Amino acid sequence: MYGSLDISTSGMVAQRTRMTVIASNLANVNSLANDKGEYDPYLRKAAMFFPGDPTSGSDSGRAMGVHVATIEVGEEPLRRAYRPGSPFADKEGYVMVPNINPTTEWVNAMEASRAYEANVAAAETTKSMVSQALRLLA
Amino acid sequence: MQIGDLNSAGAMPALEMTMRYAAQRQRLLAHNIANVNTPNFIARDVDPKKFQSVLSDAIDSRRAKTGGGYGDLNWKETSQIGRASGDGSLRLKATSPHGGVLGHDRNAVDLERLMQDMVENATVFRAASDLMRRQKSTLLAAITQRV
Repeated sequence: MYGSLDISTSGMVAQRTRMTVIASNLANVNSLANDKGEYDPYLRKAAMFFPGDPTSGSDSGRAMGVHVATIEVGEEPLRRAYRPGSPFADKEGYVMVPNINPTTEWVNAMEASRAYEANVAAAETTKSMVSQALRLLA
Repeated sequence: MQIGDLNSAGAMPALEMTMRYAAQRQRLLAHNIANVNTPNFIARDVDPKKFQSVLSDAIDSRRAKTGGGYGDLNWKETSQIGRASGDGSLRLKATSPHGGVLGHDRNAVDLERLMQDMVENATVFRAASDLMRRQKSTLLAAITQRV
């Protein structure tokens, strides 16, 4: 029965990772430079889910659950914005800025949060089943 | 009935099998819930009706053999319900597709149905474990000659 808890935990870890990626996208909505100060607009990231949990110790455990296989870098083209004061502006005053739509990110964040809750509910059910089984001893 | 049959007295084997089944099915349901946002994931489950017919067949054959008062359950394996190689306990193979609407990410998990199945499954587990606890305390009362 503890296997069920592992599965629900893998779901929670995956959804939390996805939430971190979404938070990074929202935080970098105006990031134009990399950590060295060079012009390098932030590209949108997305967590890719795959069934199975490679961190599990057993074969049957590895077949179940979910994990973040890769964090893909978005291929959407950058957006052209008029910012004549920017040090990165071209001759006409335009800068290529990250193409992140906050509404999309919010909706994804909401979905991740609800899915996290679903996994918590599954874990709670498993917990109550375990305690039911333990009560047989009393 | 001998003293060694106490653990397989009455409804005990059927209740044990029900609890094992519900515990295994909880794994499958947790897996489907964990993959609620996984692209291309098709939820798979087992059919409780098939388990019920396996269980009722096993109970019938036990009743025919020992009168139903005691004895182990000899259940038959099916495509979904098998025996583990180690201890011969119950192992489930999820083959029934868990119906749902295919989303734009080619994921067909129906979260509400899954939650409903999980609550039903947990209720079955609870009923079986409560009945088993009651039977154990009845046995204890008989052994200690309490009234």
